[in-house]
Amino acid sequence: MGTSQTTVLSLEGVSKTYDGANKPALDDVSFAVRSGEFFSILGPSGSGKTTILRTVAGFEHPDRGAITMSGHAMNGVPPFKRDVRTVFQSYALFPHLTVRENVEYPLRMRGDAKSGRSAAAMEALSLVEMSGFADRLPHQLSGGQRQRAALARSIVSRPKLLLLDEPLAALDLRLRQQMQHTLVALQRELGIAFMYVTHDQGEALSMSDRVVVLNEGKIAQLATPREIYFAPNNEFVSRFVGRSNLIPVTFEAAGNGAVAHVENVVLPDLVASHCGAARMAIRYEAVRVSENVATPSPGTLHGTVEDVLFMGTSCEVNVRCGAINVIGLVPAAHNSSLEVGQPVQVNFDLQNTQVFYD
Amino acid sequence: MTDNVASNLTKPLRASPLGFRISLNLASVPVLAWLFLIVVLPNVLLIGVSFLKASGGVILLEPSLINYARIWNSAGFWVLLTRTLSFSFLGCVLATAIAFPLAFYVGRIARRYKTLLTVLVVLPLWISLLMRIFAWRIILGQSGVLNAALVSSGILDQPSDAFLYSPTAVVIVFAYISVPFIFISTMGAFEKIPRDLIEASQDSGATPIQTFLHLIWPLTRRNFAIGFSLAFLVTVGDFVTPAMIGGIDGTTLGVVVSTQFGFANNWPYGAAVAVALMISVALLLGTIITMLPTKGVMLSEEAEGTLPETNSSQRDTGRRLASIGVVASIFYLYAPLAIIVLFSFNSANLQIFPLQGLTLHWYQELLQDQSLLEAARRSVIVALCVVTMSVMLGTIFALIIHYARLKGARFFELAFALPIATPGVVLGIEMVLGTEIFSIPSGVARIVIGQMSFVMPVTMLLLLVRLRRLDPSLMEASLDLGANRWQSFIHVLFPMIRGTIIAGAFLGLTLSADDVMVTLFLSGGAPTLPIWVFNQLRFGFTPSVNAIFSLLLFACLLVVGFATWRTSARLVKAAA
Repeated sequence: MGTSQTTVLSLEGVSKTYDGANKPALDDVSFAVRSGEFFSILGPSGSGKTTILRTVAGFEHPDRGAITMSGHAMNGVPPFKRDVRTVFQSYALFPHLTVRENVEYPLRMRGDAKSGRSAAAMEALSLVEMSGFADRLPHQLSGGQRQRAALARSIVSRPKLLLLDEPLAALDLRLRQQMQHTLVALQRELGIAFMYVTHDQGEALSMSDRVVVLNEGKIAQLATPREIYFAPNNEFVSRFVGRSNLIPVTFEAAGNGAVAHVENVVLPDLVASHCGAARMAIRYEAVRVSENVATPSPGTLHGTVEDVLFMGTSCEVNVRCGAINVIGLVPAAHNSSLEVGQPVQVNFDLQNTQVFYD
Repeated sequence: MTDNVASNLTKPLRASPLGFRISLNLASVPVLAWLFLIVVLPNVLLIGVSFLKASGGVILLEPSLINYARIWNSAGFWVLLTRTLSFSFLGCVLATAIAFPLAFYVGRIARRYKTLLTVLVVLPLWISLLMRIFAWRIILGQSGVLNAALVSSGILDQPSDAFLYSPTAVVIVFAYISVPFIFISTMGAFEKIPRDLIEASQDSGATPIQTFLHLIWPLTRRNFAIGFSLAFLVTVGDFVTPAMIGGIDGTTLGVVVSTQFGFANNWPYGAAVAVALMISVALLLGTIITMLPTKGVMLSEEAEGTLPETNSSQRDTGRRLASIGVVASIFYLYAPLAIIVLFSFNSANLQIFPLQGLTLHWYQELLQDQSLLEAARRSVIVALCVVTMSVMLGTIFALIIHYARLKGARFFELAFALPIATPGVVLGIEMVLGTEIFSIPSGVARIVIGQMSFVMPVTMLLLLVRLRRLDPSLMEASLDLGANRWQSFIHVLFPMIRGTIIAGAFLGLTLSADDVMVTLFLSGGAPTLPIWVFNQLRFGFTPSVNAIFSLLLFACLLVVGFATWRTSARLVKAAA
């Protein structure tokens, strides 16, 4: 969490429709980024995340709404006069310049003296552990090294806000995890606010202080990763973040309120104030699948295993219960012998379940 | 030929050394034979002859340095050399001032009219060089369009004879010839800069001028240098423009060389001048290319080409200025051609405005001229021979170089390209020497060989570029799916390279049908159409020349229009 509460960037009612498009890319988007904060924008492709980033950087201009940075209106300011830097998805390293010259570039444009430039560039390179590659040209680097060089270039002038456009998308899994740690450490060390665009919920949840989830150009939810994960505001967020079953339920009157029925089985722990059809979102890890079919407890569904996916630390088990399918997570270390066609019991851990009425 | 290709495809390089050597030799025999006969031998002969003596038009086989001594001690030579180089240099600089901004506009800003503008700027390359030169004679002449306009508007009291037959006229025409070369080469580079690099530069705080200086220029200067060099080579080897436009002060070394191989008939001296010219040009262009280095390799392949729109208030004025510039450039390129077409329908004998009246007389006159029809027929025969053989050989050679993985493919390419880079007048006399030594008589046979020397490399290099861009796994996939090499070639490779082969054939057709510089030395008493026209222009002018040029222009427009229509039709089909 940022130490100070001043905002470095705020968007108010920003809307943008591209020429020739009939749907808006951004529809009345408002949020603020605090200084020193790790802020993520999460959404599927086409949800408008990159448009936000390009609008903040100054490459696109909003049709409506105000963009303010540290109290100054930014709408008409060209990209090169904004105190933001972007890490491009393709890295956009200048092919004719060495790594050091690339990193020096923003300082050179600012008119810094040569000696100061070089020292600052080397310092930035050492922050990303690239000091040994300063004199190479971009095409002589591996993907991960290019990524680090691009990062060094964007932090060398210590902007107040750094925009990252899916910077890890082109890296392999191991490098991606490694870079996540690097990014978080770097952000803490520099105290620069990061605005991180990604479609990978894992990245967004693990690194961010706050996350905004976008859907079709609108904000679906803006909250901390925990809130997003455990208390999604709406069906879209619960579907997009984490891995959830969406199970049709009906609430029928019982006592003062209503209690949920799934496939004619009563879930006594899931109660609501009014009746009707709804869907309950329940994460895979909150679904318990057990081979013991002998002792049924209340709120238990019976079904048969349709398929099992081995995921490393756990297995995803797809169980057919009457007309619905429920996916549950069982630990892989457990010497389980779940097989396709095997009859099983399914229980729900209803603590973090969200219910959405139709 | 496919056998050679095939045997090399099967044998990886690390197969038994003997097998590899045999297949390499088989494949490279035709390639090496061409290089020796068409590239090496003529150059060796040129240098060899330059060390001989001539007496009364007969070459004496006595090695001597007399020609070089004559050059070295002649003040006239040095004046001419300086003049030749500076005409071409100034012409290219002037062309750069027009072509560079134009290439930037078309490559990065224009969206809707991009293809149209590209075609318009490059099209003059396909239009007869003689026509383009001759048009300027009409404009600049004493009774020409420019004078008429100046007098009637009261700027001049009487027509000036200062425009035509002057060094300035030569520079203007050289610039006119150079614009398309510099444009096409530079625009390619502008187009290839990925948008995110430019955004990254802006994002780093660079103003538009800084972005240009530190990013765009370093990434485009090498292509610019190549276009500049190409235009320089073409104009340096052009002896027609100085002869027709330059007058006495506009003479260049190209004219000197051509007269030594013409009526002055001193081949050794002409060869020596040619060698001296080549060395000077190589030094100059070498310096230019070294001064404009390239560094690094462009990583991201996708280039979106156009800059994002800017909402600044200057945009409208900027746009308007850019549009005016583009329109002016296009006007510069096409107005001269339009004037010729206009005069071809003019009933008066003189090339002066206002037009006297409409007539088809000049066209009718053409049909009755037997020598013209003869020359036209010869041109068609030559072009057909040159194109057929060049396309066949070019395809075979490209496949050999690409698939047989000859050692030093890069070297082969450069060697093949040498005749293209040789100034026209020098290539012409080289081909005279090369055919003379095998006693091939002047006329169609000589012309065909001479023209193939530069048409074949063009078709080959085009195809080679295409082959390099193909995904190699496509051929592997075909082999993997059970097709043999011949089937793979027919069903997979050929359909993919067919378009390039056809494009090469069209280019070769216009190169052959339009050539004056090389053909003039080879035709003897059997002129092709452009040579016939050139002779007409030299020995007296009739307005029917306008009619020929107009017909050639229409033919060229038809061919290019057809080709463009075909490509766009294919694009539409691909999009659907």
